[in-house]
Amino acid sequence: MINEENQKRRSFLKNFGIIGALLIAVGLFFRDLWLYLYPPKRKKKFHKYLVAKLNSVPLGKAKEITLGNDPVFVVHLDQGYRVFSGICTHLGCHVRWEEEKQRFFCPCHKGVYDKTGKVISGPPPRPLDQFKVEEDKNLVYIYVETKTRGPWS
Amino acid sequence: MDTVKGQQWLIGIFSTLLIVILIIVAGMEMKKSESTKPEIEIDKTTAQCITCHEDKGIAVKQIDAWKESKHAVMGIGCYECHEAKKGDFDAFTCTGSNILVARHPTPKDCGKCHEQQVKEFANSKHAHQFWLLKNGDRAAFEFPMATRHGCEECHQIGNIWPDGSVGECDACHAKHSFSLSVARQPETCGECHVGPDHPQIEEYIESKHGNIFKAKGKNWDMGYSTTNHEQIPIEAPVCVTCHMDGNKTQPMTHNVSARLATESQAPWSFRTVWDQEHLGDWKKKRERMEEICASCHAPDFYKMYFLNADMVNLQYDEIRRAFVHWTTKLTKNGTIKRLKYKGKYWSNPVLNGWDELPEHEMYYGWHHEGRRFRMGAEMMAADYTQWHGIWEIQEDLTELIKWAAEHGDAEAKKIVNTNDPRKFITYALYDVPGTEWGIPTKTNTTPFVYQAFPDYWDRIYKNVETVYKRGLISEDQWNLWLKRYKNRDYYLGLKYANSPQVDSTWNFYKKRNDIDFKAMKEQVIDLVLPGKNFYNNK
Amino acid sequence: MSVKAWLKERFPIDYDKFIEINENIFIKEPIPIHMKKWWYCMGATPLILFTLQVLTGIFLAFYFVPSPEMAYESVRHITQDVRFGFWVRGLHRWGANLMILSLFLHITRVYFTRSYQKPREINWILGVILFGLALTFSFTGYSLTYNQLSYWAVTVGTNLIKSVPIIGHSLLVFMRGGEEVTANTLTRFYMLHVWFLPLFLVFFLVLHIIVLRLHGVSEPEGFPKGKYFPFYPHHFYKIIIATLFLLAVMSALSIILPPGIGLPADPTTTPFHIKPEWYFYPTYRFLRMVPLKVGIYVTAAFLIAFTFWPFIEPLLSKKNSVRRNISYGVGALTLIITLALTIWESLT
Repeated sequence: MINEENQKRRSFLKNFGIIGALLIAVGLFFRDLWLYLYPPKRKKKFHKYLVAKLNSVPLGKAKEITLGNDPVFVVHLDQGYRVFSGICTHLGCHVRWEEEKQRFFCPCHKGVYDKTGKVISGPPPRPLDQFKVEEDKNLVYIYVETKTRGPWS
Repeated sequence: MDTVKGQQWLIGIFSTLLIVILIIVAGMEMKKSESTKPEIEIDKTTAQCITCHEDKGIAVKQIDAWKESKHAVMGIGCYECHEAKKGDFDAFTCTGSNILVARHPTPKDCGKCHEQQVKEFANSKHAHQFWLLKNGDRAAFEFPMATRHGCEECHQIGNIWPDGSVGECDACHAKHSFSLSVARQPETCGECHVGPDHPQIEEYIESKHGNIFKAKGKNWDMGYSTTNHEQIPIEAPVCVTCHMDGNKTQPMTHNVSARLATESQAPWSFRTVWDQEHLGDWKKKRERMEEICASCHAPDFYKMYFLNADMVNLQYDEIRRAFVHWTTKLTKNGTIKRLKYKGKYWSNPVLNGWDELPEHEMYYGWHHEGRRFRMGAEMMAADYTQWHGIWEIQEDLTELIKWAAEHGDAEAKKIVNTNDPRKFITYALYDVPGTEWGIPTKTNTTPFVYQAFPDYWDRIYKNVETVYKRGLISEDQWNLWLKRYKNRDYYLGLKYANSPQVDSTWNFYKKRNDIDFKAMKEQVIDLVLPGKNFYNNK
Repeated sequence: MSVKAWLKERFPIDYDKFIEINENIFIKEPIPIHMKKWWYCMGATPLILFTLQVLTGIFLAFYFVPSPEMAYESVRHITQDVRFGFWVRGLHRWGANLMILSLFLHITRVYFTRSYQKPREINWILGVILFGLALTFSFTGYSLTYNQLSYWAVTVGTNLIKSVPIIGHSLLVFMRGGEEVTANTLTRFYMLHVWFLPLFLVFFLVLHIIVLRLHGVSEPEGFPKGKYFPFYPHHFYKIIIATLFLLAVMSALSIILPPGIGLPADPTTTPFHIKPEWYFYPTYRFLRMVPLKVGIYVTAAFLIAFTFWPFIEPLLSKKNSVRRNISYGVGALTLIITLALTIWESLT
């Protein structure tokens, strides 16, 4: 009797092990195939991009440059240099800098941002996007996302 | 295994095997790294330049080169370097636009970002004006049109610009890609450090370092940065690895003089004092170089290597002393004359002069052969130390003395007429017992001086002690020399020269030599042709 | 209402009958006793591999772009960028190679057990057609990577077609989609590889299996006749084991010998060493040994003889033992020549 039960338990364990291994193998196989369909998320990389010389933008003024086709504003404030993307956070129009009013103005739906990028009035849902700024010697750099060439990115 | 049970086991086994392999596959997947080329963003000004230049087809390849550069990725476009203000020496309005452009960005412009490199460069001998300070005389020998694309082209590396800055960065950093790999290529240095008077590139290729680079270097990625105190990533050094690149302990430098201890290009070899206040004395500079050597070699090896190389430099000075003795003497007694025009001299008995043989030989003995002799010893180029070096120097000196004898110099006549082999050593000697390569056994049984002078090593000792006391070699080097001196029988291998095992090997080759000689004699020396000599019918 | 009842209402099938048929056809399929031996039961290997090829092929098609500009780049992308891409491509590449290898072995086994004899002649011919399809599959698939070797293999391979009498030229234009190897050629090969060939192959495969089942597996000489065991579980397990084994081997191979991507196709430069895949070595070597016309006619004659061997063999002699000896002799000779040509080609 005891022997028989032992044998039963043993054969159960054996079948359990074999079926388990089989399931894991098949599972792994299809997991890998599934992951194949999802291209890996690239880690965002940033690199330094020269935007201005320290003394080229006087205090309280802004310099407009282009990054690709998009406008970027280098603003010299009391706190130092700030660099804003010139793309309105509302619907993506290009904003302009109004120096006498010390503000950014979006002509599409009259969005207004102050010189620190904060929304003063109009429809924009959030402040202007800012770049991380680094002053190195007498040059101002921003950190720009490294995009790659090619059909897959 | 044909039973159902057996097959169940097999299913289990192969499932496990598949699991293991799939885990390895997943592991490989994790290790995969991606490398992609960053996209460049071209700003409006640069885009304007590019469009116009491409339309007109002017220097378009330079645009392609720029697009490959790190500058392009970092937003450093045309105008960041080519910016000009009205009145700048090189300002011009670019045709078809109203942009004021600088034709020649100078080190001052590069220094806006690369401040340290420009500063270091300006403090290096690359920036030194030595060739102009001492150029007056040779300008009598070579006229400007000849040197325009000659001397001046290489020495442009130390150009003084109208804005006061010095140097030409793109001499090494080929514009407009400013590729590190190109700058690091030995041939970049070899553009100028080549030829009969300073064949560094040839010496490098002759060295083991250069050979390894030639064999394997094409697969090395030479675009690395050495500013982060990391291990040198390549297997064998190129020129800049030792003279400029950083390693774990040494910072990268654009001052090529920071690691050089001897002025072995100068007419006399001497311990460098170049920019001592910043760079430290020659010992400090040597230490820096040794730190680089230490990346790959043991101190045992490179300290000995440098001791031998330093002694070659000191020995050179003694040979030069003989040259100078003759040219000064012959000038003084009027046998040869200095070049002179309207009261100004255009040659110098201790430096140059090209119209009379003694001056010529002395110049060669320094500017060509003398440098090859010294630099070959410093850069592991045996053939340059030997055949392109000392052999030719000795010939120069012999020719000079012969010329002096023919022109009535009694001292010279005595030397020429004697059959005493000592006549080739009209100067004092240095020596280091043995080499860094190992213990020779028979090599040092042959030299004439070892056989002829019982007091040879006493004399050498006094010479080396003197230069040590003068500070021309360091205490370290003196001790290293002393250690070898005291055990010179061992280091020279004389201790083993007549041991049975060495003798038995030696005799083997001696026999071979006899066989060779016999064959040579039988085949050709004893050969008499019946056709006779056409001149006298014998 | 139970699920079963719900389904039965939507699909009014006699489920008991269905289960019965299933049991008769699959579960209880009588398998002759000799197939308990590993050597005799691997006919399903090509089928397993084909199924895996379909699976990995579908996955590769997610990323592959059949255009001259993008084909090579997308293969590179799959191999170097996509997660597990090197593995999926490795499985597909090695699957193709192993499929051809397993077909060689399967054909050799069928030939030497003389299973093609009456009344199974048609199934042999179906098998030959399947083998031809598999080779075409490999050739078209290999060409899609659009690297130097595959581009020039297409050029040379399609040029060979030109020497077919009468229809050669129009066949060439049909294959290339023009006089030259162009983007048309690539899309045509792609079409063949993912549509035509799979359809044809499945069709002939089903026929092959139906004919096999109608006759039952042939019983070779030297084994007790008339003894059977049911398909499940014994043979079913064998197929699972084979599948696991093949997956493990192919995965391992895709790590140890990963398929390379070569150099991108350059229509202006022919590479120095241009060779087809190993399974074309015998033909390739032979065609290079003799004048092209001769080579093509001899190859064609061989193919005809090979295809119709089950009908040719009975004409040779009335005595079974003589026929067997002739068959063995011809088979051995073919095998030796094939192997010799393959080895010769791979060494040069």
